[in-house]
Amino acid sequence: MFLRNYWYVAALDDEVRERPLGRTILGEPVVLFRAANGALHAFEDRCPHRRLPLSMGKVVGDALQCHYHGLRFDGSGQCVRVPGQEHIPHNARVRTYPVVERYRWIWIWMGDPALADPAQICDFHWLQDPDWGAKPSYLHVEANWQLVVDNLLDLTHLAFVHETTIGNMALVEHAAVKVQRAPNSVLVTRWIIDQPAPPTFVKVGKFTTNVDRWQIIDYTPPAFLRLDVGACPTGTGAPEGRRVGGIGMRNLNAITPETETTAHYFWAQAHDFEPHNAQMTDQVFEQIRTAFLEDVAVFTAQQRSITLRPDAPQVDINADAGGMQARRIVDRLYREEQETAAAHATAAE
Amino acid sequence: MAINFRVELVWQESDDKKASSIFLTSDGRVILQGRGLSLQEREKLSLPRDFDLISVDRNLIRAIKDML
Repeated sequence: MFLRNYWYVAALDDEVRERPLGRTILGEPVVLFRAANGALHAFEDRCPHRRLPLSMGKVVGDALQCHYHGLRFDGSGQCVRVPGQEHIPHNARVRTYPVVERYRWIWIWMGDPALADPAQICDFHWLQDPDWGAKPSYLHVEANWQLVVDNLLDLTHLAFVHETTIGNMALVEHAAVKVQRAPNSVLVTRWIIDQPAPPTFVKVGKFTTNVDRWQIIDYTPPAFLRLDVGACPTGTGAPEGRRVGGIGMRNLNAITPETETTAHYFWAQAHDFEPHNAQMTDQVFEQIRTAFLEDVAVFTAQQRSITLRPDAPQVDINADAGGMQARRIVDRLYREEQETAAAHATAAE
Repeated sequence: MAINFRVELVWQESDDKKASSIFLTSDGRVILQGRGLSLQEREKLSLPRDFDLISVDRNLIRAIKDML
């Protein structure tokens, strides 16, 4: 199940250079490249001649040239050269997709191009904000994209999957979780008061006393999760809004479905302490990366289990509340998108 | 160590349309927020006298349908 009329992250900005990058998005092969004039393009990754992926080709001037027989396509997707003949078949063209470069990511619109409004791109300004240190990265995940969303909206798993980095039992045993559901968003807020800091927080925050820790997860469909996380020494007033003497971070996540059972996972970690200290940025990033690789192992194993028996029963517990609300929103948006598409198809007949 | 993990669900459709909280507790209960009905109200509305009855906002019903 894919939602089409949304912006998705297709690549890190430095992944897309003159050399074409092939990537499957929502089950469609896409090639991304920068033309010689600097313009960013996304085409269907399939030459209309013999269907070789155009990502095997190369950029020539402002056009993309197929590796097989040298057909060239300009920025509009139109074939402009067929070696050995003057006539260019009128249907020798490839589909193009709207693309925007923002927040160090390349965004793509896979739905109706007429609806592509860059103002709808989810805010990830922390990636470029001078008051924050930040480092983005990419993971390929052998799992359905919604398993990643579930994981990020339920942070009780930190106590078990990430006990050596960002988790401890306080997350389960001393937590009051608030799940706020709006029509198109979910906000999960959790405060853990007067408890020991987890290992990563001790490392980067140098805590020697108990802390008040927050996890505020902001979900926007289809799959954008912005986590406001941090801790301050207990008693300094963080729950009342005075975040002093502690650490604050943003864990930023954009999950793009590749197929029904695989996903592109773009994530970044931003921090507000020592924002211009590159070593600190690397240290924070590596701690979180360790935890994320532990998550990837979980998603992969879950997907394997689900694929073996898709209809196996599944039970829900209280900690699933955020993920369940997100899935209900996605189900509703999918239904609405399908109904709109069907109405347009009927009107066109 | 007492386990006190609990979840508060809040439903909000717009700034002026929201429901009171629903609480999911670690012992498996669903706790709703409402106002207890007095004996006078029960008599006036022909409601039973022998149960705990609460009056809830209609938005809470919508929240229950959407969120539980």
